[in-house]
Amino acid sequence: MASAPATGAGLSDADFTRFTEYFYKRTGIHFTPAKRYFVDKRIETCVRESPYDTFTGWFAALRVNENSGMLQDLINQLTVNETYFLREDYQFDAMLSTVLPNVLRDRGGVNRIVGPVKILSLPCSTGEEPYSIALRLLEEWDQIDHVDVEIHGADIDSEVLAKAAHASYGERSVQRVPKAWMNKYFTSVGGGRYQVDEGIRSAVTLHRVNVCDTFSMRAFRDFDVVFCRNVLIYFDELSSRRAAENLYGAMRPGGYLFLGHSESMSRISPIFTPTRLAEGIVYQRPTGAK
Amino acid sequence: MTDTEAPPRVLVVDDAATVRLYHSSLLLEAGFHVDEAANGLEAVEAAMGTAFDLFVVDVNMPKMNGYTCVETLRSETVGTASPVLMISTEDRPGDADRAYAAGANLYLVKPVAGERLIRIATMLTAGRGTPA
Amino acid sequence: MGLVRKKAPEPVEEVAPERPSAEALRAQLDDPDPDCRREAALGLEGDEEAVPALLARVAVETETNVRDAILTTLSAHDTETVAGNLAVHLASDDAALRTAVAEALAAMPRSMPALLPSLLAAPDHDVRVMTAMVLADLNHPDTAAWLVQMISEDPHPNVVTAAIDALLPVAGAEHAAVLEEAVHRFPDDPFLRFTVQAALPRLTGTA
Repeated sequence: MASAPATGAGLSDADFTRFTEYFYKRTGIHFTPAKRYFVDKRIETCVRESPYDTFTGWFAALRVNENSGMLQDLINQLTVNETYFLREDYQFDAMLSTVLPNVLRDRGGVNRIVGPVKILSLPCSTGEEPYSIALRLLEEWDQIDHVDVEIHGADIDSEVLAKAAHASYGERSVQRVPKAWMNKYFTSVGGGRYQVDEGIRSAVTLHRVNVCDTFSMRAFRDFDVVFCRNVLIYFDELSSRRAAENLYGAMRPGGYLFLGHSESMSRISPIFTPTRLAEGIVYQRPTGAK
Repeated sequence: MTDTEAPPRVLVVDDAATVRLYHSSLLLEAGFHVDEAANGLEAVEAAMGTAFDLFVVDVNMPKMNGYTCVETLRSETVGTASPVLMISTEDRPGDADRAYAAGANLYLVKPVAGERLIRIATMLTAGRGTPA
Repeated sequence: MGLVRKKAPEPVEEVAPERPSAEALRAQLDDPDPDCRREAALGLEGDEEAVPALLARVAVETETNVRDAILTTLSAHDTETVAGNLAVHLASDDAALRTAVAEALAAMPRSMPALLPSLLAAPDHDVRVMTAMVLADLNHPDTAAWLVQMISEDPHPNVVTAAIDALLPVAGAEHAAVLEEAVHRFPDDPFLRFTVQAALPRLTGTA
């Protein structure tokens, strides 16, 4: 058994290496030595809150029993989960600068496109993501007045969906929203909270659905752009594969899929084609037969 | 486009951490710059963001095997002309042909001795970058 | 133009798409359109009666996306019938098929153990290498023991090194001896020697 570190604090070098190799293999995420302290502290918390006394016991259980929720707790500890308006908005930049123009071009151009451009935010959680998309389209997409756009938000959790429908948010959630947009699209409802105006709320259709449920996901078809950020990483091997397949089925051929910035399909499924944009990697459902 | 002061950049692609370590250590010691990928899809994504001078690619990998990886590297998805060395445990008849059909430059069967790997890597990257 | 307003007055819609019959989906497994076959394979999730047809398709399906969908559905049937049928493809000349099957088998910890005695004794060393690959990701408490058996007994160095690679993430000081013994059994294998020498300090706590 690898010896405990001299200071008694954090993982031994051997355990840190063992853990980061496992995590890299499982998720594709590298923890560099610079993140050592961060990882040590988070794992300490996981081990302390588990039935196991040592890292070794906890780690062995984690490896054998990924479905138990241990992996979810671990990933929750290691990743930032907060949702807020305009989170990771470099992807919205990519949507405006490259993805939507490509979609329009692929569908015949602004004058000949038939049917709306469809955008899906899943999980939409309490709504910040789909409403952020709506705001950026209205404010920054030069084609918004010429093209129909449907925005859909989907989540498995009915409580967060109710909040998304109500669409009122605290300061922390809206702190990245430009003041001019706050004035234009939000109303102060007291208690430091702001509600998204009815015009925007009615532009986002909310659905309760489980991304791993193939039948339910059949309700979603022909989406041009899908945001599926920071949820696939929580699933075990089989569930994440099925979720990827279900997202594929929800998309138009050539449609675009954004994952969270530290996520990759390389640990999930090869069915999408990666594409490099200036802002990072995006995935596409392939066009045509292979 | 190569910076004449920069060593050649190699991407080592293998699902086995021990194999990545072995090949990377040898190449690093010989002065190459080395990055790693654990399967063919991760390699494709890495190659999209970085111009590699040499790919060292295993065959049996999950998600995307080596042949598909090399085909994708050569396709318009990545479109690299950099040399590809495939190193695999497989030594069935036809495996080497499959590698060349996919676009590999050379196919070797594991284990590859350190000296041999470096000789071959040096030969394949001659004129690309300059080993430190 | 612009953002389309939603149609339903309810704030949240439950989704209730049409559910095709299992018979219809099973028939679709042979459809000439690969997207149709793919959707059928995924739609047959949980349908035990579809298992024989799905297993038959694995052998003949030429579109890798369809095959991935078939294996995704089959992997959830962690039974000896499915595992036994899939394991045959570990010997395939098709690299994409044998690695996809290895991935599927790694997700079947209940039924894999019964296959191991024959897989570990397979005459083709490539099959044994693929078996080590399965064991690398199989969530079963006896995995380390099977890998130790491969490391101590397999006659082919590439099988032994694949087993060592699979074992190291869970190895402890108690495995140092079997690793050292492997180096003695294959003294001319540079990779094996390097790997064991690199791993030992970490295992014995002298890193």
